[in-house]
Amino acid sequence: MVTPKHILGNFDEALSSLRNNVLMMAGLAERTLDRAIRGLLQRDDNLCVTAIADDEEIDQLEKQIDKDGVDVLLRFQPVASDLRRVVAAMKLSPNVERIADQATNIARRARKLNKHAPLPEVDLIVPIQAHAMSMFKDSIDAFTREDVELGRAVVARDKDLDLMNKKAGRLLTDRMAEDPKQLRGYLNLIFISRCLERVGDHATNIAEDAVYAAAAEDIRHQTATVAT
Amino acid sequence: MINLIMAAPDPIVLETDDRTPESALDSDEVRLTFEVHNLSIWYGDKRAIDSVTLNVPSNAVTSIIGPSGCGKSTFLRSLNRMHELVPGTRVDGSVLLLGENLYAPDVDPAIVRRRVGMVFQKSNPFPTMTIGENVTIGLKLNGVRDRKFLNERLEKSLRMAALWDEVKDDLHKAGTSLSGGQQQRLCIARALAVEPEVILMDEPCSALDPIATAKIEELIHELKKNYTIVIVTHNMQQAGRVSDYTAFFYLGRLIEFGPTSKIFSNPSDKQTEDYITGRFG
Repeated sequence: MVTPKHILGNFDEALSSLRNNVLMMAGLAERTLDRAIRGLLQRDDNLCVTAIADDEEIDQLEKQIDKDGVDVLLRFQPVASDLRRVVAAMKLSPNVERIADQATNIARRARKLNKHAPLPEVDLIVPIQAHAMSMFKDSIDAFTREDVELGRAVVARDKDLDLMNKKAGRLLTDRMAEDPKQLRGYLNLIFISRCLERVGDHATNIAEDAVYAAAAEDIRHQTATVAT
Repeated sequence: MINLIMAAPDPIVLETDDRTPESALDSDEVRLTFEVHNLSIWYGDKRAIDSVTLNVPSNAVTSIIGPSGCGKSTFLRSLNRMHELVPGTRVDGSVLLLGENLYAPDVDPAIVRRRVGMVFQKSNPFPTMTIGENVTIGLKLNGVRDRKFLNERLEKSLRMAALWDEVKDDLHKAGTSLSGGQQQRLCIARALAVEPEVILMDEPCSALDPIATAKIEELIHELKKNYTIVIVTHNMQQAGRVSDYTAFFYLGRLIEFGPTSKIFSNPSDKQTEDYITGRFG
């Protein structure tokens, strides 16, 4: 359905600028997370350093989105779907920023791991990263396309990620007991797995905001009944 | 004590019936002041209101919004038969005020207008009268002569209109000597003096500054404890602030009616959404 133009051209521009900044921020966070994970898997310190450096730009975008959102509220007093879009943009940007923070944490721990001999257990991270990343991408898609069903599906997938993280945690703890010399390395992998689990939590929050923006429905804090 | 107004009957409890979806309220326990059923109004050949069915809840503020010419003022005026002052009007359908049909043949429009007071867009105190006379004129025209009673009602009405403290020492001064906002509150006090059951307001703040507007809005909030209020406004933010229910009119038809929070956060009808978000036309 085509949304008719607002009677104030400035309003559509302001709303579009807000949305573009959210998308740009999400794109940067996705790239940072990708670089951090590749830095880990490919043992590439440069990628890790770049991922850490990217965080600054994302922080600035978060502030810009807040500023633009307040500006739109102040100047245009939007209502209905417009209000929900502005509120959702302002609510989801801190989640994107925290995803970038998790990427930075992963990059820092990857640099520590890169100083020592490679651990084959790093492969445990690959499926967790793939799941977390797909949740993140889909949550942003749900917001962009106002796709309520996709938003709901992202929320439902968080349970799987929690289980994957728990399973990896147990395995790595066992390895710590078996090989105490690599204790720090395994501990770093446990923390990286937890960072990715947190990425899933933030993606869930974003998906919930996307559903609210599209359908005015608050799906937070509901017992998951959707089959995964 | 002299009571000009007949005792209001017990509030009506809405029962499930053949209400149209747009006029239905969520709760069956909502008390109603007006039940408008299939109302159409013509000015000559032009149909200004087209088959409107709407229930107005008691002790609540209902705002009517819509673009110019959508029939919202005509609808408001039909609630106290004020639109009949325009020659060539014709009405079809029914308007029940606390269960009584306002358009029944034996109903005197003057009595209706006493029970359903009105405040207009532009404050209109009587220019030749003092502040006090402006408030009590309605009672005097209805034959009240008891000075003590008139003084009591004067103070009560001005207090209810949140104007007493500002004018109590100037009651003998001309009503037109007050500021725009004070004049509007004086008009509200004048409407309250005859103890109506309902107050209709037709864009009561459109000519006022933000401070005077805020005072009127505060007043509306206070008055709804004792009165049912129906307000026409072009100011969407005002409708959002003051009203409990909102009705959206377009081309003489009621498009959507519901709790204000619902209408302004998630309206059901696309035309409502387009209008309130500024994407209309």
